[in-house]
Formats: sequence, structure tokens, C-alpha cells
Amino acid sequence: MYQYNKVDQKIVDERVEQFRDQTRRFLAGELSDDEFLALRLMNGLYIQRQAPMLRVAIPYGLMSANQLRKLAHIARTYDKGYGHFTTRTNIQFNWPKLEEVPDILAELAQVEMHAIQTSGNCIRNTTTDHFAGITADEIEDPRPWCEIIRQWSTLHPEFAFLPRKFKIAVTGSSEDRAASQVHDIGLHLVTNEQGEVGFEVLVGGGLGRTPVIGKVIHEFLPKHDLLSYLDAILRVYNLKGRRDNKYKARIKILVESMGIDAFRDLVEAEWQLTKDTELRLTDDEINRVKGFFQPHPYERLEAESPSLSQQLQSDVDFKVWFTRNTRAHKVTGYRSVVVSLKPHLGAPGDITDLQMDIVADLADKYSFSEIRSTHDQNLVLGDVRQDDLYEVWKILAEHNLARANINTLTDMIVCPGFDFCSLANAKTLNISDAINAEFDDLDYLYDLGDIQLNMSGCINACGHHHVGHIGILGVDKKGEDWYQITLGGSGREDASLGKVLGKAVAADEVPSVLRKILQTYVEQRTDEERFLDTVRRVGLDPFKEKVYAVAH
Amino acid sequence: MPLLIDRQLVENKWVFINPEEGQQSSDLVVGIEYLLIPYALIEEIAILNLEAMGPQLLGVQINGDDDISDLAKWLPQLTLIAIEFPVFRDGRGFSLARQIRRLGYQGELRAVGHFGRDQLGYLQRCGFNAFDFNGDIPTEELVQAFDEISFHYQGAADDPRPIYRQEIISELS
Repeated sequence: MYQYNKVDQKIVDERVEQFRDQTRRFLAGELSDDEFLALRLMNGLYIQRQAPMLRVAIPYGLMSANQLRKLAHIARTYDKGYGHFTTRTNIQFNWPKLEEVPDILAELAQVEMHAIQTSGNCIRNTTTDHFAGITADEIEDPRPWCEIIRQWSTLHPEFAFLPRKFKIAVTGSSEDRAASQVHDIGLHLVTNEQGEVGFEVLVGGGLGRTPVIGKVIHEFLPKHDLLSYLDAILRVYNLKGRRDNKYKARIKILVESMGIDAFRDLVEAEWQLTKDTELRLTDDEINRVKGFFQPHPYERLEAESPSLSQQLQSDVDFKVWFTRNTRAHKVTGYRSVVVSLKPHLGAPGDITDLQMDIVADLADKYSFSEIRSTHDQNLVLGDVRQDDLYEVWKILAEHNLARANINTLTDMIVCPGFDFCSLANAKTLNISDAINAEFDDLDYLYDLGDIQLNMSGCINACGHHHVGHIGILGVDKKGEDWYQITLGGSGREDASLGKVLGKAVAADEVPSVLRKILQTYVEQRTDEERFLDTVRRVGLDPFKEKVYAVAH
Repeated sequence: MPLLIDRQLVENKWVFINPEEGQQSSDLVVGIEYLLIPYALIEEIAILNLEAMGPQLLGVQINGDDDISDLAKWLPQLTLIAIEFPVFRDGRGFSLARQIRRLGYQGELRAVGHFGRDQLGYLQRCGFNAFDFNGDIPTEELVQAFDEISFHYQGAADDPRPIYRQEIISELS
């Protein structure tokens, strides 16, 4: 993974001191609430319902064992012993003290981490495929490009006060595990007819109040032009994006209102002025950054492992976990392990300090000291020898990190909701618990197959409900929590927005409504048909009829 | 009221004239030596015989709503360009400054309105060299704010080289 040089370290260290001084001036009354708001947000610090919340960046979801141990230390020392992984693959701490935040940032800087631009109207953490570099179907590892974008976007002098937040995702394979089509910019590594690798560029996707699938603005962007083209898009957006209404300020609204062709014309005109300037990437730089993402020193292993076969045969729990929570690796004899942060009852994405230490130790011992955080709020040990899987599973299971539910109904994406977030309209964590309680039969979940359930506690859609196969949106009706259900969304390569099933349902009805939706699926499905495909084929009517049928 | 120009405290000489409805701009500019006008009035003012009326030097103040696609043709006549920040969080001025410097303008580029100490480093990188603190008198301490971060990843108006074209990177690798 990328290692800081002196410049990277100095920038982060100085940023800590800059923020320390801003905090001091704010506490001394020298800095207005409004100015400190913009400044602290750019350092990931929110003031939430319970306490401040600090969001720490995990660039493109990749961290070292030492970094994860530092996050455990911060959870233990400055917080209440846990953290929460987000869909931007960052981690949030819910209970830090405002005056201690500079110290937390200083601790992070010791392990090449920071909270820069994890919030605010600026370019946020760039995300990617959590199987980047280890999946067989990849055109190229997207992470060097994420790192190049990270450096370009970090403390960018021109794009720190955009109309609204700005999110970029990069993918390197035909499978989209980064929800790139619902990002402000989605970058897909592609090959052209000459066999050269470049980027397909999408712009104007997003969720929130106005969900939109991104549109292609450039079909094949040569690699060396990546930063100049991003720069052109950002400049046009910074100048033209709406600033009178924060709900209409995202780039998707600008693109929709102008039309993609007119928007493209502006970007191209701007780009012609910059593409052949110093912004053009050099081969030296591309190669320098790629050098940090070379394959690990893998062992030559046999495809078949007698010990693994024996373990799979003798331990059915292990076999179930192996099937559900591990994945083929591009190198023979290795597999990728998904560490489930979706226990039976517990906030999705939450992890305790002890669990972080355990995962860090496992990474050190079995997976080249690296851990990945995923878009759907789990962790990945990317490179585990298949002979070591049994040991890894036992330790994960001992610490409640091996629930064999990856890609099933209970592997939900859920925002923290009203319990923590001051934007939320409705609670989410009680609903995810109720869903877990209702659907605790894993065999039933396996029979249902891959289902992505996403839940948000308000229209801002941090839980990505629009792109869940099943989406749940919490709404406030006269002081009560109600839940609107959508079906048929996807954040993957076949991206689509879910359609509203019907009128919202009360909190205590959500599990039984889900039960009816799933029954309908089981009745309607053809052999091997996924939930999403059934919804797409039969439409919403059968589901509506079942859910809203008048009781006789 | 002093301003910060090229990191020095300097007394402001410019007078901003923004005629209200019914007022003739030609009446208002008489006797003013350093004349600053809204960019929207440039066509109207530029045809006057300014030197005979008083103004020796002309500047324009731009805000984010102005269309500056014609700005290049006026540059030879301008000694000051001021860019207005209507609120702290309105970052259009950063991009306007980049575009104006890119046109080759080398005169004073002044930030006016609602910006703050903690934006000075970025403003300078985007091409501003003068700062009018909306009625507040700048302090000597403010100058420190420019250099809180010693390195930059991006090229900008002050130094077009991104990190990968700076000497420092070859020293490190």
C-alpha cells in the first residue's frame, strides 16, 4: 500500500497544527460558529445529537494492521470503545470531545492517517472496489489512480468551498462494487480498440433527495489526462453549480438542468485550456504510485488443499461461512475473507476496539498486514492462504465477526439514524434489530440468495436506500417513525433506482412487510432467479397486492 | 482602512462607486482618482473620458454571477480586479481568480467581502495578492496564515507545478 514520504507526512502534520489553532481560536471566541463550521467539517468533525462526531479517512478503504490498531486505540482512549464504518469506507467515532480532536488527529498522523475532507463541501474520500488488486476480472488495479486522485484533491486550494460535497469512485473491473454510477464522478478503467487503458468518465450521479444515475461525459479518457479532466469538471461545477439552495447544489442538478451535452461542451472548452499544461500526469509519477501497489509476495500453492477439504467436510459451520463469507482470489491457493460487521443484533458497521485489534492481528499473521473496509460496511482480509482459513474463521467466530450472512438480507447497509445523527428523521438501528430478530434462520436467508437491503433514516440517503434491492427510508409523520419501502434498486454495474412500493408502514410492521415481500419473491421466482431479477421481471404489482391486501 | 497587499499593510486608495437607480455614473466618478466599479458597468464607464473627469486608474469588482467571458478585452485598462465573496462558503471566487490569472492579468487581484484568515493560503494560491477584510483592520499576525502548510500537491496560480513536477519529489524518491 502507499507509504507517506516526507512531503505527505509534513502536510498532514501541519494540517493537525492548523486545526489545533482553529479549535483554540473557536474555543476562545475568536472564530465565529459559521466559519468554524466550514473549517471543522473539512476536518471531518460534526456536532451531532449526542456529541461531536469525528470521521476519519480511510483512503479507498485500504489500511494497514498498525493503522487499524491505532483506530482501536482511539476508540478506547478518546471514545466509548467502538467505531462505525461508513459507505465511504471511512470510520466514525461518535463520542470524542471537541477539545481532544486535535490530539486524536495528531495520533492519526503518527500512522499516516487523517480526517482531511471527510466532510464539508469539498472533494471527499475516493472509493473503489474492495477486491481491487485481488480479483481475477480486473483490467487494472484502480488503487494507484485513487491515490493519485487523493493527492490531487487533498487541500486543493480552488475546490475547498464547492457548492456541495463531491464524491469520486474508481473501478477496475466490469463488476461495480463501488456504486460508481451514483457518484458525482464515476471512473471506470476501460480498454480502447488499440488496447490502451484509459477511463470511461461518468458525471452527475448521486442519491439524496434527487437520486440520479450518472451519465457518460467521456467515453475514453487517456490516463495522462485524468487530473486535467477532473480539474475541468470541478471548475465548471464550482462556477456554475447552484448555491442558493443546498438541496439543489450537487453536480447532478447542474448536469440535469443543462443537459449532459451542454455540460460536456463547457467541460471540454475548459479542458482544452489545461490538458497540455503541467497538470498532465507524467509516466514517472504514474509508475511511482503504481510501485506501491505491487502484488504481495504470494507463495506458490496447490489449488487443492487436503486440510481445507477435510475441515469443510467435518465442520458444517465452517463450510457455511466458507461458502458465504470467502471469495476466490486471483492467485491460486488464496481466498479473500469478508469479516462480517453485521452480527445478529447490533448496529451494522459497528466494531469494538477489541475486534479491531483482533482483525489487525489476523491481518498481520495471515493477510500481509492489510485490511480493506467495504462500501457495504464490512471488512476484508484480502489475501488469506486457504490452509489458514479454518484458523482465521475460529478467531473471527470467537469475536462475533463471522456471521455467515455476506450478501444476504441481514448484510444490510444502514446509516446510524436518529439515535446518533442530527439530520435523521427516524431511527434505523431498532429496525435493523427487528429485521435480524425476524430473519434469524440462516437457512431461510441462504434460500433467498443474494439480497441487498439498504436503509436510511432520512432523505439524505446515507444508507443508499435508493439502490438497495430492498430500500427502506425512515420518515417522520407527526412525530412518529414510518418507513417507506422501495424495490428494485441496484448500485452495481446494472445500476437502477428502486421504485416506491406504496404508502409507508409503521415501525412495528416493517418485519412482517418484509416477510410478505420475500414470500412473494419465493412464489414468483423461477429457478436460480435472484430477488432483484424477479422484481425487474414481474414488476411491483404482485408485491403491492401481497403487502397491502385488505385482511379478510 | 488598511488592506493586506503582498503581505503588507497598505492604506486603501480605491473608491467603489455603485450607482443606484436614477443616478448617473458620470456624475459620481468626478474627482475620484482610483475608481472601482461593478463589472456590469464597464461598458458604460469605459466610453467616458475618465482622465478629464478625475479618475486616473480603473478597477472592476466581479461577483460570481457576472459573465466574464469578455473580460480579456478590458484587461489593458484595468489596474485592479476585485472579486467579491458574498459569504464565507461561496467558493466561486477561487475559480474566477484562477481564470483571470490564466488570462495573463498581472495586476492587483483583491478579495473583498466575506472570506477569512483560514482561507488566505488558498486564496493566495489561486492568484489573490490583496485582501480587504470587510471593514476589519488586518493584523500583522494574519501574515502567518499564508504559510501554515509548506507543501502543495496541486499546481495553482502561484506555482503551476503539481507535486510530481516539483524538485522535492525527485529528492525524496
